[in-house]
Amino acid sequence: MSRGSIIALLVFGALLGYFLSFGADTTKKVQAAVYHIFSPFLTTGSGLQKQIQGVQGKLKSLEELEKDNAGLRVENRELKATNKALTDVEHEVNRLRHALNYRERSEFKLVAAEILARDSSTWWRTVTINRGKDDGVEGDMPVVTDEGLIGKTTTVSKNISVVLLVSDETCKVAASVEGSREQGIVSGDRVLGGLTPLLTLNFLTKQANLQPGQKAVTSGVGGVFPRGLVIGNVKAFKVRELDGQAQLTPAVDLSQLEDVFVVTGRR
Amino acid sequence: MILFVILLVLVFFGQVAEFFIPTIPWMYNAHVYIVPVFVFFGATVLPFPLMLTLAFVAGFLLDALTAQVIGSRVEISVGSSIVIYAALAGIMHGLRPLFIRGRWEIHCVVCGMCTSAIVLAQYLMITFRRGYVFFSPEIWWQIGGPGIMAVLISPVVFWILHWVAQVTGYPYLPSSRRGEYE
Repeated sequence: MSRGSIIALLVFGALLGYFLSFGADTTKKVQAAVYHIFSPFLTTGSGLQKQIQGVQGKLKSLEELEKDNAGLRVENRELKATNKALTDVEHEVNRLRHALNYRERSEFKLVAAEILARDSSTWWRTVTINRGKDDGVEGDMPVVTDEGLIGKTTTVSKNISVVLLVSDETCKVAASVEGSREQGIVSGDRVLGGLTPLLTLNFLTKQANLQPGQKAVTSGVGGVFPRGLVIGNVKAFKVRELDGQAQLTPAVDLSQLEDVFVVTGRR
Repeated sequence: MILFVILLVLVFFGQVAEFFIPTIPWMYNAHVYIVPVFVFFGATVLPFPLMLTLAFVAGFLLDALTAQVIGSRVEISVGSSIVIYAALAGIMHGLRPLFIRGRWEIHCVVCGMCTSAIVLAQYLMITFRRGYVFFSPEIWWQIGGPGIMAVLISPVVFWILHWVAQVTGYPYLPSSRRGEYE
């Protein structure tokens, strides 16, 4: 081995030892700094992705138009394009109106955020949002929509944050079930097989006998999630050897997230 | 040196691109990872110190951008992926003579295996922290899927990067060692 390689190996080992000695706080700071560096690229990438998806949508319209007769093709294309644009605007207006209404009637202080990117890792269910410390966001803050709980913030940089989704195995939420005295812990699965994840509500009593459709809401125990946020609806209940376990369908379609709110406190 | 800088830039932007590459539904939503392909190409063509640097940067970015710190629990320490990348890049570096002789097919397959090995190593680390291990078909697809995709995309990526190496006048070997492979 050459002298250069030995020196490189020694420097490599020294730096590696330094990094491996990081604790949780230092790791979070390092991650926040890296996210801060990457935030312009993630924001630009998110915009590009939306534009590409828009172009793909228009290409689909053209494919459909080719099936129509030749005389109506031009007119049809114009009408469809106009309609598409108006539908997009209508969807946007409805979405924002919906969000604004929720923000106004909510009992929490909410910071509106947009999803920039979805999980880039295999083993964690996360999304990246375009709000950070500059907007008052901190770690372990709940993230919601008007339909229910999404998850909580983990890494928070200056203007970008990572949200750990409620469907992740490590996102534990203390929950109670409406119409019963049952309390338990909700968590997700380690691996997401399909697009729609299911949540698991553990540590219920064996006599719980929950019925499909009953709502599970945050119980407020634990301090991270305030009381009363809808987590999901009971899909099935089973009795295990020591406790009862329910499967929940998340209240929010986690695969179709666009706008979310970070709960920064109570009003 | 120009090729090394290009590879560093590719690793950086590849890491950004991975946020936006959709998962593959028919592979149980397995991810597509392109950064390992760049790193493993670098491992086969770069000298040892530069290979270590590339593995270091890629591993650091992977840990910093994807591993989550839940509360006060670090499931994958910053640095773990550097070790994994360096070890696997070392294997690829060992196959360098074959690559220089033009036998790329082995490297494409090994590149896929190494990509899956990164995901498997991550899974074993989080499993160790979370307390119980299980393997289901979904998990095997999550581990194997990225490897299969890497095998498929690596010939194209290798070919493009080989062309970049030629354009930038990158000598695959120092002139003193060129005779060993001719």
